Order: sequence, then structure tokens, then C-alpha cells
Amino acid sequence: MKKITASFIALTLLLTALFSCSKPENKDNNPANGFDKAAMLVNYADNLIIPAYASMQQKIAALQTASDAFIANPNAITQGAVKTAYTDAHLQYIRIATFNFGPAETVLLDNYLNFSGGLDYSFTTDGELTGFSVDTMAINNNILSGSYNLEMLTRSGFYSQGFPALNYLYFGNDAITKMDSKRAKYINDLLARMKTLIDKVTNDWSGYRATFVGNTQTNSGSPIAYIVNQLSYQLDLLKGPRIGWPLGKQSNGKVFETKCEAYFVGISMSLAVENLNSIKRLYTGNNTSGKGLSDYLVALNQSTLNTDVLTQFDLALEKLKAIPDPLSNSLLTQAATVDAAYKEIQKLVTLMKTDVASATAVQISYADNDGD
Amino acid sequence: MFKSLQQKLSFDKTVSIAPLITFRIVFGLLMFLSIVRFWWNGWIQSIYVEPKFHFTYVGFEWVQSLGSLGMHLLFLCIAVSSLMILLGLFYRLATILFFISFTYVELIDVTTYLNHYYFISLVAFLLIFLPANKDYALDMRLHPEQRRLTVPAWCVGILRFQMAVVYVFAGIAKLNPDWLLEALPMRIWLPGKTHLPIVGSLMYETWVAYLFSWFGAVYDLLIAFFLLNKKTRPYAFAFVLIFHIATAIFFPAIGMFPYVMIANSLIFFSANFHQKLQSYLPFYNNRLKNLASNPQPYRFHFNYLIKAALYVYIAFQLIFPFRYLLYPGHLFWHEEGFRFSWRVMLMEKSGAAYFTVKDKISQQKLEVNNREFLTPLQEKMMSTQPDLIVKYAHHLAKEYKKKGMQQPAVYGEIYVALNGQRSRLFIDSSVNLAAEKVGWQHYSWVLPYSKTNK
Repeated sequence: MKKITASFIALTLLLTALFSCSKPENKDNNPANGFDKAAMLVNYADNLIIPAYASMQQKIAALQTASDAFIANPNAITQGAVKTAYTDAHLQYIRIATFNFGPAETVLLDNYLNFSGGLDYSFTTDGELTGFSVDTMAINNNILSGSYNLEMLTRSGFYSQGFPALNYLYFGNDAITKMDSKRAKYINDLLARMKTLIDKVTNDWSGYRATFVGNTQTNSGSPIAYIVNQLSYQLDLLKGPRIGWPLGKQSNGKVFETKCEAYFVGISMSLAVENLNSIKRLYTGNNTSGKGLSDYLVALNQSTLNTDVLTQFDLALEKLKAIPDPLSNSLLTQAATVDAAYKEIQKLVTLMKTDVASATAVQISYADNDGD
Repeated sequence: MFKSLQQKLSFDKTVSIAPLITFRIVFGLLMFLSIVRFWWNGWIQSIYVEPKFHFTYVGFEWVQSLGSLGMHLLFLCIAVSSLMILLGLFYRLATILFFISFTYVELIDVTTYLNHYYFISLVAFLLIFLPANKDYALDMRLHPEQRRLTVPAWCVGILRFQMAVVYVFAGIAKLNPDWLLEALPMRIWLPGKTHLPIVGSLMYETWVAYLFSWFGAVYDLLIAFFLLNKKTRPYAFAFVLIFHIATAIFFPAIGMFPYVMIANSLIFFSANFHQKLQSYLPFYNNRLKNLASNPQPYRFHFNYLIKAALYVYIAFQLIFPFRYLLYPGHLFWHEEGFRFSWRVMLMEKSGAAYFTVKDKISQQKLEVNNREFLTPLQEKMMSTQPDLIVKYAHHLAKEYKKKGMQQPAVYGEIYVALNGQRSRLFIDSSVNLAAEKVGWQHYSWVLPYSKTNK
């Protein structure tokens, strides 16, 4: 009896050990039985994320060229060329901003390139909206002193570099007349830092890709959880710092028109629309690829939910497109139009945080922690 | 047979101390490892120091975070006291310290509530009174004359009872239509597990979700009884291993719980088994050197008091989980009487909560950014639990008063999705939550649950 018992326990231990230690292949070997998550992640990596970073590198190079011409000969024509290149680059950045996990998150790309102010601290003690601020004082001090550390982890540091700083330096008041060698050096240093960070993230993705496509888990810290979490996080940013908070949703209608994204160049709405387009692309895995999160939902018998989400995306996009640029102006003159878009975005946030998160069994919490 | 049962349950019966000794050592070790893991993951900081606001328990509002240094010292206290329990050094002091510091930490924030933390608090409380240091302990090196080889049977029995309570109530909780008839939430959770080797490709299959649900329910309901029975015990323990290692693999987010349950299940084994197990420990044979030739069993002072307390404790454990019956409405939706009742991994629930604050005097109106006050974890937990919603509303009213509002009213627009149903409005959005009471009463401002899919 005892022997049998012992061998039974030993066998069980062996089996469980085998079960838990067998080499994780991390691939759905039999996609016929269901949805192929590995193929979905390959689609995200190869068709969406990696090409977008490569394109970002090109746009930054083009911006550098236009910027060089503007610095050499600052006038309305060269400034116009910079505007085109800047807009291209910023729009492209918006397209990669939704991939704020893995290499991008490690280097804090979003903080250094296009700081939204985050969600956890939206007003200073003076009641001033932080959001998409530009710290012109810090920028001018840096230019004057010529010595600065762009790697500082401070709000002022984030607000004096990347797209916020560039859009001030290229398109702020007297941007043409104020150009001098010190200012030129600062612009070039900012561009160089952006290039360094983007190059690093792009290069890191070539190594990270294998980790990304090889992990088909859904618990927190997995690529699928990143994607689902990004959907609601990015929608939260669109609802708050991009639209709602400048509109005064948190401040009893007090408008903060200067806290719009890319305030000085006045393309906030183009960026916001591209942002929502990008979030939709992240949801669908590049529209009709058949290998996106939307298709996973359909495979989980949630096609009604999927249709509702897509419809809500289109409705929110329609309302968002109805707001004309510059947003800083529309906030004051067309508050109702902005509010209508805000409401539709909130409905989308609700769908993502409740229905989509539940259906995919992914927790919306940007941190790891025990549960039961 | 009745007589033998009576004998078995007799208060005066004595048994070997061996199971208690193993239990103490394993408990101390696991608790120490848990604390190290918690610290290592940076959770002391992110869960107990960084949040600006904590959801307190009714009646325990005075339990507050002690700040960065204080919290780290408190965790150090838990770690040191668990090592002392492991070694059996100043055991009484160690168990009291452990119980108080561990329970204090768990009482700081409701959003961190886990059934297995509750279990640990209860076990620690019991250990204070149990003579688990009367053999193979450093205390017995200091006081060899106090060494005992036998203890009253209830000392081992109460720990078995506690284990059985966890299992049986977890099993009873699974006896609901969603779990049994629709395999929910397993049917939602398992498709996320297709990465697993060998079984991964089965995870999309509905019958697997049913198998998991039914096996889980039957296991929880019966395992304690099979562990109690001498003949079935080894097989039952094999099931304990399979079940908990499987849950650890399938649901890594449950952390240490499976290992705690596996290790604590050893309490069901016989004295012989434990003596054999302990003979592998260092210095095991040295311990007998100074033993009196015929040591008396361990005796409690105030026997009647102990006996009465024991009955009260057992009655509480058996009745408290059923308090949900006193509340109207769907348990999973309202969550009234949900905690402290061994409802483990029972439902998939997520919410989105938007709050508006209005000043009744100035007619000022603004929307709340939850992330300004709560961590993502706190926000996630608050969004689906009525008592946390009303607590948060009170906090918001206080905060906005500080910001200059005179009579802030707080309204919530909250959507909740339960067990794969589509999300729907959770509470009455026209109710000023700041004026609603926090307490044990039924929250009538939560909208009734109806299971009709749109």
C-alpha cells in the first residue's frame, strides 16, 4: 500500500513537473482549433509596429533637412517647409504613440517626445492645467545658458524638448526673427536626441520582436494585455489631455486653449483624428488584416460587441472630424462640437474598459499585482 | 460509531505534536518567502506608499498607511516574525507580532483584499494560542523542561477545520448557475491560456471550460473529507498537488496561494508521516536529549475559556460566509457579503466609472479624473464594488471641499460588465453619493441586476 502511494505521488509530481517545465513553445500549434494569436502578434509587429518606426526615422530625417534650411535662412518660405515636415513627423509620431510598451516604454519615448502630462496629475497647485504644456521659460533658459541635460526626469524637462519644444521654436511668436546660433544649436540638439531615441527604439524592436510574437499569454505584462491596455490608455489620453481637459471638463468650463497639443502650429485636431485612427488600427490590427484584436473577439463569439466597437469608433471619428483646427480656437467658439466628440470618446472608453477587457479576460491595470 | 466520533471530538483527547510542528515551520517559511517576494516586486511602495488615498474597512478607519519608512519597517517586522515562527524562537511574541503586523497591512486598503490574506490572518491568529513551539524549536533549547510530545487534539483539529472551511465554502460558492450551467467565467478565462504546452490547443473548447468548472467545484467541496480519511489521504493529496499546481500555471496572478494551500494540506497527515518528515531536519535527534522520561501532554490554563472561545470561533467561521443571504439582489452584482467568504476566482467583472462633482451653492460642475486620486488598481476595484464607490464619493466630496467647494454633491455614471455580459449602467446616476451612508446596510442606489443581453 505504502509503495503504491509513494509511487503514485512520485508519478503525480513527475507529471506536474513535466507539465510546468516542458519547453514553452509559445505558439498555438493548432490554429484550426481556434484563433491563431501568434499570427496576430506577427501581424502587429511586422505590418503595424516595425514599419511605423522605420517611417518615423525617415520623417525625422526629413524634418532635420527642412530645419537645416530654416536655420540657415529663416524666412516665411523655409518656415512653411518646416511646417510641412514637422506636421508629417508629428503625425507619424502619433501613429507610433499607441505602441507605448516594450522598447518605447523602456526609454520613456512618449515622455521625451510628446509629453501629454499623464493621467495622474492634471493640474498644478495653482489650478493650471499641465497637459500638453510647453515650458517656454525652461527652453529660453536652456538656449541662453547653452548647458542643459535633456535626460532629466522632470516635467519641466519633458516640456522643454521633443515636439512641444520644436513646435514652439519653429512656430512660436518671432520664431523667424529670434533665430540665432544658440537657438539653432538647441534645435539641433533636440532633433539629435529625438533621432537617438527613435533609432534606439527601432533597433530594440528587431530584438524585442521575437519576445513579442512569442508570447501569446494574456496576463498582465504580456503583448496582448499591452495592446488591450493601450486601447483604453490612449483613449483616456484623447478624452482627457487632448480634448476634454483643455475644454474645461475638469475645471467648471474654464478653457485652457494654450494647452492644446502642438498649440503653436495649430494642428491639434489633425493629430487628434490621427490618434483615434491609430487607436482603431491598433484594435483592428491594421483594418481588414483578419489578424487583429477585433478578429480575436469575433473568434470568441463576440461579433456583436466587435460591430458595436467599430461603429462607436466611426461615430467618435465623425464627431472629432467636425471640430476644426486650430483647436485652441474651437474650444472657445465651438465648445458644443468639442463636447459632442468628448461624449462619444467616453462611450468608446467604456466599451474598451468593460466589454472588451472582460471578453478578452485582460485586466485594465497598468501594474502587475496578485489577484483572486 | 457514534461513540468513536464522540471520542474523536472530545476536548480532552491528546495527539502527537508532530503535525503542528511541521505546520509551524512551513507556515513561517512560506510567509517569509511571500514577504520577500512582495518587497522584491516593489509592491510595498506601489500599493501601500504611493496611493494618496486608501479604502479603509468599516470600523477600521484608524488603520492608515505608515509612510515609506513605516511600511518598510512593518514589512520587516512581518519578515522577522515569520522567521521567528519558523525557528520557534520567542514563539508567542512572534505569532502576536506577525498577526498584528500582517493584519494591519491587510486592513489598510480594501482594494488589496484577497481571500488567502484573510486565511493567513486567521491562521496566524490561531497560531498565537497553539503550542506549536513545544518541540523542535529554539524556544525548547532555552526551556527544555517545557518540551511536549502530545497536545490536545483540537490544536491540530482547528487547523484542519480552517483548511476545510476554505475548501468547502469555496466549493459552495461555485454552486451557482453561471459556474455550473454556463461554465462562466472559465469560458472567458481559458481562451487566454492557449500558450500553454500540450493542453493549449484545447483552451478554445467549451467542454474544457465545463470540465474545469465542474472539477473545481467537486474538488473544493470534497477534498477536505478525502484528506481527513486515512485511506484516501495519499490520493487526495495527489489531487491537491495537481489542482494547485494547475491553478498556479493557469492563473499565475494568484501568486503564493497555491503553494500555501499545498503546504498547509500537510496538516491532514498522520503523526507518523510528520515524524518521518521531520527526521530529515537537522538536529532532529538532538532535540530529545533533555526530554523528561515521561513528558505530560501540553495543558492549557483556563480550559473552559479556551473551549468557549473555540466554539465561538467555529460558529463564526460557519455562519459569517452566509451573511450574504441577508441581502436582497444578485450577489455578484451587488457584492454585499462577498468578502471574507472564500469566494475565490468566481467571476469576471470589470467597470468604468465617471464621477461628476457639483457644488449646490455655486452650481459649479466638474468631472473627476479618477487617476488624480486613485492608482489604476484602486480604480479598477472601485469601479465594480458599491461600498468602495460610496467611500470614494465621500473622499471626493472632502477633496473638493478643500479645493473651495461649499456643498459638493457627487454623482457617478458607472458601467459594469459581469461574466461576459455586455456592460450596463451600474448605479442610479441621479443619486448624490456624498450623502449616502457607508455601512453594512443594503445600498439601494445600485441598480437591480437583470440578465438580459442586449
